[in-house]
Amino acid sequence: MNRRHLLMSGAALSLLPSMALAHGPTRQKITLTTELAADPAEVWAAIGDFQDMSWHPAVVSQEGEGGNEIDATRVLYLSDAGPDGPRIDEILYKYSDEKMSYSYRITEVAVEVLPVTNYSSHLTVMPRDGGGSVVEWRGAFYRGYPNNDPPPGLNDEAAIAAVSAVYQAGLDALVERFGAPGA
Amino acid sequence: MRRAPDLALWLALTLAAGPVAGDIAFVTCQNGDAVSVLDLSTGEEHARWSVSGKPAGVAVGTGGTVYTVSPDSKSVRHFSAAGELLAEVTLDGGPIGVAHDAQRGRLFVSDWYNARLWVLDDETLTLLRTLPAGAAPAGLALSRDGAVLAAAERDADRVALYDAETLTLRHSVPVGTRPFGLGFAPDGRLFVGNVGSNDVTVIDPGAGVALATLPVGERPYGVAFAAGRAFVTNQYENTVSVIALDDLRPVATLEVGDYPEGIAATSDGRIAVANWFDNTLSVIDAVTLDTVALLDTADGPRAFGAFILKGEMP
Repeated sequence: MNRRHLLMSGAALSLLPSMALAHGPTRQKITLTTELAADPAEVWAAIGDFQDMSWHPAVVSQEGEGGNEIDATRVLYLSDAGPDGPRIDEILYKYSDEKMSYSYRITEVAVEVLPVTNYSSHLTVMPRDGGGSVVEWRGAFYRGYPNNDPPPGLNDEAAIAAVSAVYQAGLDALVERFGAPGA
Repeated sequence: MRRAPDLALWLALTLAAGPVAGDIAFVTCQNGDAVSVLDLSTGEEHARWSVSGKPAGVAVGTGGTVYTVSPDSKSVRHFSAAGELLAEVTLDGGPIGVAHDAQRGRLFVSDWYNARLWVLDDETLTLLRTLPAGAAPAGLALSRDGAVLAAAERDADRVALYDAETLTLRHSVPVGTRPFGLGFAPDGRLFVGNVGSNDVTVIDPGAGVALATLPVGERPYGVAFAAGRAFVTNQYENTVSVIALDDLRPVATLEVGDYPEGIAATSDGRIAVANWFDNTLSVIDAVTLDTVALLDTADGPRAFGAFILKGEMP
C-alpha cells in the first residue's frame, strides 16, 4: 500500500512540468467585491503587503522572498503542519502602491488543496462613493483537470466554487475587521 | 404556421441590411456563451448571438460567413453574417483553432487533445479527412495567397506548414516554447507567439525556416498586422507589443485591458483587441498607436482567430 502510494507520487511528480502549462478548454473568471467603512489607505496598509497574508483566515503562516518587488515569492501554509501540510506557492507579477493593487499567480498548488491550474489574481482597494473603500478580488483560472471530460471534483464548477469560497472568506474577514459602510 | 419563421427571417435580413458600411467584428465570448457582433465604424453592438458550448475559436470568411468553435460542447458552427445557423457538427476530441480556405471550400479545425487537424466542408461541415499534427495543435492560419496552412503545435514546440492544395506536410519548424497563436504578415512571413518563452518566432514559410526570434511581453497570445507593424497581445501583461516589420525592431508597448487575447486588423488600418477579463474590445490606431475606442462585449471575449469581416470602405 505504502509502496504503491510512493510510486503514484513519483508518477505525479514527473508529470508536473507539463501539467503546469496544460489546462482545460475554458478559462474561468470571478470577481468578488466588498465594501468597507475604513479608508482605502487603512485597508491597503492591512492587505497590501504581499508578504503578509495574515488577514486571511485560511492562512496559518507563510514565508517568502523579495518583499513587494516583481517576481517576489510567497508560500502560504494552510495548516499548523507548515511546509508538511497543504500549501500554495505564489509569485508577484504586478505591484502598485499608488493604485493600491497587486497581481500574482499560483506557481504550485495540489489540486486537492485548490482544484485549479494556470491561476492568476488581482487584489485592489478602491475609494467608495460616499466614503469608505471597496476591495475587489479577481481571479482567472482553468479547472484542475487539464484533459477532456473532467471528474466532478475537478470540473469548471468545482474550480469556481473553490476560488469563490477563498475570496469570500477573506472579504468577510475584512468586513469583520473594518466594518461595513454606514453600519 | 409559417408566420414565425418568416418573421424571424425578415428580422435577420433587416438586421443584416442595416447601416453597416465598415468592418464588423464577430467576437466569440466564451464565458457568456455568445458572439458579440460589433460594427467597428459606429462602435455599436449590432447583435449578440447566443452560441452555446463556450465559444473561443472563430474564422470569418470573405463571403461573410462566420465559423465558431465551442470547445466545451465540441461543436463547430457555420453562421451567415446575419446570425442564421447554417450548419453544425460535433467533433469528438478537443476542437479549438479554426481557419477557413474559401478558395477550396475547406474549413480546418485543430484537435487539441488528439494531435490532428480536421478538414471539413465549409458549407455543410461534413468531415472530409483528418491530418496528423504534433501534440496539442492550437492556432491555425492560411497564408494570404492561400498556398500554406500553418498550425501551432503547442506541446511539440513546433509549427507545421501544410501545402493547402494537396494537404501534405511540407515543413515542421521548431519555434519557441508553447506556440499558440499565429498569423501571416502582408509580406508573407509567419509570426508565431510562444506563450512559454514570451517571444515571437518569425518564419519563412516557403523555406520552412525560422528567421528570427523576437522578445515580447508575458504570454503572447495573438498577432495581427497593420501600418507596416506587427501587433502582439501579451495576455499576462495587459499590453500589446508593437514590432516594425521592416527591421523587426520593437516600436512600443501599449496598455490595453486585462487579459488581451484575440487580435485582428481592420481594413482601414486599425487593430482590434479582445480584452477577456474586462469584456471589452480595444480599437487602436496602428499609426498613432492611440486607443481610439473601447467597445463593450458579452462576457469573456476570446476572439481566437480571424474575427473581422472586412466591409466595403466608402
